[in-house]
Amino acid sequence: MSSQDTQSTTEDAQLRAGIDRSLRHPVMFFLCSGAAWLAVSILLGVIASAKMHHPEFLSSCPLLSYGRVFPAHMNVLIYGWAMQAAFAVIIWLMARLSRKECRSAGTILTAGHIWNLGVTMGTLGILGGYGTGIQWMEFPVFAWPVLLISYFIIIIWSFIQFRVRPKGQVYVTQWYLLAAMVWFPWIYITANTLIHCLEGHPVMAAGINAWFRSGMLLLFFTPVALGAAYYLAPKVTGRPVFSYALAKLGFWSLAIIAPWAGMQKLAGAPIPAFLPYVGAAATALIFIPACTAAVNMLCTVLSDKDTLSKSPSLRFVTAGITGLIILACSAVLLNLPFDGFNTLQLSQFSISGYGFDVLGIYGFFSLVMFGATYFIVPRITRREWVSKRLISMHFLLSCYGVVFVALVAIFGGLMQGLGIEDWKTNDLARANPYAWAVTISWSLILLSNVFFLLHLALMWMRLGRRSTHPTLLVSSHDHASPHGEEGDIDNAGEIEPAH
Amino acid sequence: MSSTQKPDLEENINVAQAHERVDRELAAAAREKRVDDQGAEPITLWVMAVCGIVAVIAGGILGAGGKLFAYGETFPENYVRASAPGTKDTGPLPKPAIDALIAKGQKVYSVKCNGCHQGDAKGNNNFPSLVGSEWVVGDSERFAMIILNGLAGPTSTGKSYPGGMPAQLGLSPEDLAGVMTYVRNNFGNSTGDVVSVNMAKQAIEISSNRAMAGKQVTGEELAANHAKNLPGDPMDPTTLVNPITLEPAEAAAP
Repeated sequence: MSSQDTQSTTEDAQLRAGIDRSLRHPVMFFLCSGAAWLAVSILLGVIASAKMHHPEFLSSCPLLSYGRVFPAHMNVLIYGWAMQAAFAVIIWLMARLSRKECRSAGTILTAGHIWNLGVTMGTLGILGGYGTGIQWMEFPVFAWPVLLISYFIIIIWSFIQFRVRPKGQVYVTQWYLLAAMVWFPWIYITANTLIHCLEGHPVMAAGINAWFRSGMLLLFFTPVALGAAYYLAPKVTGRPVFSYALAKLGFWSLAIIAPWAGMQKLAGAPIPAFLPYVGAAATALIFIPACTAAVNMLCTVLSDKDTLSKSPSLRFVTAGITGLIILACSAVLLNLPFDGFNTLQLSQFSISGYGFDVLGIYGFFSLVMFGATYFIVPRITRREWVSKRLISMHFLLSCYGVVFVALVAIFGGLMQGLGIEDWKTNDLARANPYAWAVTISWSLILLSNVFFLLHLALMWMRLGRRSTHPTLLVSSHDHASPHGEEGDIDNAGEIEPAH
Repeated sequence: MSSTQKPDLEENINVAQAHERVDRELAAAAREKRVDDQGAEPITLWVMAVCGIVAVIAGGILGAGGKLFAYGETFPENYVRASAPGTKDTGPLPKPAIDALIAKGQKVYSVKCNGCHQGDAKGNNNFPSLVGSEWVVGDSERFAMIILNGLAGPTSTGKSYPGGMPAQLGLSPEDLAGVMTYVRNNFGNSTGDVVSVNMAKQAIEISSNRAMAGKQVTGEELAANHAKNLPGDPMDPTTLVNPITLEPAEAAAP
């Protein structure tokens, strides 16, 4: 390496370190409060799921009745955790890729507090019995303008950074993130104004709501997670993205197909008959953008199996991409309206829709967000993760837990759907064992996220390891002493080339 | 020690340590690799094949929807849910007669009466009020004749309205029974009785047998011929009836 190269590499590293420092507080705030909300959400999820098989559980307290706990669980998961994780990842990635320091960290941080206030008030509103009863929009009506305005204040700086970026090619991650940044206000404003502000037929309002839920998953969480994965996989492995052509196919097919999906939830309802079937076909076609992106990621990652086994961020991202493949397959499987195999009908009023949502939000999106977190946090705090055991516990419990929740809910939902079709059987009795399994696996996930929250909080308090060695998931058997390299405090040895 | 000395050669700064500190600050950023999206692999055949299969399935889903834009065929009017397999078709759940007739009458009122007598039935300067009118809440035959034939000349209050009221044509017995029951038990009127479909049938027959058939009735004719209740046994308002046919029905089996 020539000295000039060394010089530019150092300057480059200084620029990146500067960007990281400028975003330290907003990103850590979003991640930590998001992780705290995630723990709250999972706790509510455990309670809601327990009520599926033990309806009398906590039934003396109206605050914790199923009709309040379940919506609170979903809304906290979405607006408390998933959106805030997305904010952290978007503002950091857009700053890094536009090569601009963030000059509005204080404003973003303030807006982040307002967002959290909105989520808190909304959640208390749901638990107090003031929920709207419109799925994923259960926060009382006052909440949505608050959330929307704070969204714009948080995200607008990333647009500005993109606008003033140095000239050059726009990277795949930026396509996805920019699209998600525009699509969220589109679906959020559309759904909220049509349902809350304009008079309309209530059946159509249910249709709009179904479209909104699908849009949140496919038009916001999916592109954010894919954008993060397209950044992390080549960044950590150091290999180029497998195929630029596949990336383009994946992005444009998502942009074209995803807005049509959603209304299949209203199959058989008195809305124009083409809407549910177009929705079902579009949801099945989501396989194409999901599969192309997943193949692209996996081919990139699997070119470097050694890094995959060591790097926590890469492991989480790969697990998330695997979740995406399962999500894509179940998108096809759950939307078949054929005689003799009518899963569209079976999944309509059963817990399989919940399984699909959890698979999308946790099994795909959140795992990629965890991967991004494990990559971003050491950079912005300038400390390394404290313990690889906490990371591997988080990884294992999360993966096993979510696979269990999602697959059991999807399959159990189909069984429950068969029970609903045969009016003489008690369909809840059929769903009972699956509900048990969901409760147990949510408890596992809760445990894993308590580890995650603890770990993250330590990092925010700058109690991470002061070391130049990244915390890697290598087996401890390789080291003679368990307090070897990783355990050394202030070990400023030579800079390792590997992540 | 003093600042006048050359700072970069100051002896108490350990250059190696200082470099290490800088290295540590930049360590994470420095060990990063560059991202590169220039992978030039073509889209492999099997990806295309799998996506093609899914596209065919999606086409099948659309096809299974049948006539996607034939709204009337998918959701036919007056659709009644099929009975559960192995059970007798019990039809829609029976309702008390007064509720079923009021529900029916509300629809007829909004089409036939609302335009003149207004949504609150209080009328305005050009159309009389139905609230508390003796000819509405009084004898049912007189009320039926006014609806079926229209009215010329003064109303029960003695006031005349230009042109009078036109005859309401095309009312079925169910419509007539419904709208009479509705007006007599709504807008502040509360006779508490129902006009049954059977009574409405008789009213239509009486109306067609009038000497002046086809002309509006007048106050004199009403007083002379129709100041009485409609023939036929009065119906108990709580009788359970089929809400579609308005005929008496058995209570549903529990």
